[in-house]
Amino acid sequence: MNATAKAMSEPVAEYAIRTSKLNLWYGTFQALFDVDLNICNGMITSLIGPSGCGKSTLLRSVNRINERLGYVRIEGNIDVMDKNIYDPDVELVQVRKQIGMVFQRPNPLPISIRDNILFGHRIHNKDNKSSKSDQNEIVESALKQVLLWDKVKDRLNQRGTELSLEEQQKLCIARLLPVKPSVLLMDEPCSALDPKGTAAVEELIWELRGEYTILIVTHNMAQARRASEECIFMLMGKVVEHQATEDLFVTPEQKETADYIEGRYG
Amino acid sequence: MFAESALNVRNKRVQNLFRILFLMMTVLLIIPVVIILATLIAKGGSIISIDFLFTDPTNGMTAGGIFPALLGTVWIVAVALLASVPLGVAAAIYLNEYAGDNWFTRIIQLAIINLAGVPSIVHALFGVGAFVIFFGFGTSILAASLTLAIMTLPVVIVSTRESLRAVPQAFREACWNMGATRWQTIRRVVLPNAVSGILTGVILEVSRTTGETAPIMFTGAAFFLPFLPQGVFDQTMALSLHLFVVATQVPGVPDNLPFGVALVLIAMVLLMNSISIAFRMYLRGKKKW
Repeated sequence: MNATAKAMSEPVAEYAIRTSKLNLWYGTFQALFDVDLNICNGMITSLIGPSGCGKSTLLRSVNRINERLGYVRIEGNIDVMDKNIYDPDVELVQVRKQIGMVFQRPNPLPISIRDNILFGHRIHNKDNKSSKSDQNEIVESALKQVLLWDKVKDRLNQRGTELSLEEQQKLCIARLLPVKPSVLLMDEPCSALDPKGTAAVEELIWELRGEYTILIVTHNMAQARRASEECIFMLMGKVVEHQATEDLFVTPEQKETADYIEGRYG
Repeated sequence: MFAESALNVRNKRVQNLFRILFLMMTVLLIIPVVIILATLIAKGGSIISIDFLFTDPTNGMTAGGIFPALLGTVWIVAVALLASVPLGVAAAIYLNEYAGDNWFTRIIQLAIINLAGVPSIVHALFGVGAFVIFFGFGTSILAASLTLAIMTLPVVIVSTRESLRAVPQAFREACWNMGATRWQTIRRVVLPNAVSGILTGVILEVSRTTGETAPIMFTGAAFFLPFLPQGVFDQTMALSLHLFVVATQVPGVPDNLPFGVALVLIAMVLLMNSISIAFRMYLRGKKKW
């Protein structure tokens, strides 16, 4: 009874991302085969699998970057917060706003740290110009969320591109937050970082869970194990197994999963 | 074990030979520049003075200064820039930031390359037909400048595209993935980072425009005028044509006069080139990624 009342007062989707019968072709090459996934809202889900298994392709179709290539064909649905983002009435700008993306190589813009954080906010709030103090608050809260505030608070006018790689990657995550996305996609966010930077960014991702649904592609199985709650193993464009991370690594159901996590191929 | 073998010696000798050969070719490049400048300074330097720059020619152009020609060149170049820069930059932005790779853009590319290959005298005749006669501008600064503008458009487009292309694609990706439109991306990220390159290209174009003679001699530049231009529909004198005139068309010109005119012309070009280089160095120093 209580649960029902709560659900009615704030209708939160149980699954942030649901794909059904998702097939994707690059030209004539089929990269995804009938992918059916339910990704839990507010959790960190990692995508693992050998190179070329389609994990990045899957990630990239969740905010429709793939279609920029022109020769990509997609069948099936991807529902984000219960709305198919491939419906014709969906505005691409809103998709990009709601679904943030973090890349392998940190790509801060060559403008100040402060302007980097405010960039998304400014493009999505053109009509109601926010006051200077509002902007300061936005910058402070975004940088605090990514555990960067104490390090950069005295040099907000420095260029984002002058930070260390680890700080750049944190900045790239921070700049997504002011527009309040519901999903964050991360494509091997730590692979350009040293071990210390990796640990720091992993810690940050872990801090963000609950508030955002995070889907993270990684080559690094240790990272998937440390920094995700659910884990999906893909192979040759198909989902082989989707389980709670601990279960997938300790008691994999499929033989392919077991072989992969034991390092027999990859 | 590590001693030099006969083969090593021979390879080294060949390597040195080629190094010296290429070095000599490079030095060869400098020689004409040095000779030109030295001759101009030696033969024309004596006539250069404030008076020479700022007074009218007298005695049937055999004495006096070059002020009307100097001013005319500034007029023609300025108006040509006003026409070619907006057009060229806009076209370059379209080609680099919006256009996909299809038959339409390929035709445009081809047109630009061909436009760059058209000889200046052909541009001149086109200018006469199009601007002087068809549009009815008469022989005027406007017609001359538009002719020059069309001639220099490929340079503006190509150099602008180069500087747009130098902005890393990752910046655009970053913007698009935050939901920025193409225009927002161009306006806020691409242009601010390309502007130094674009300006450099523009200044280089200016220096090219300054020395052109053929395209303006039928369309707007006059042999001699007793008055200064008052607007874009007036004819004007120009330095490059003035040089041609005093060097070949007027009898009894003292030797140092044409050399002086040439020196002023080349000094203008070099000055603008150095400004462009200094400017580029300044802006490059500021940008880091």
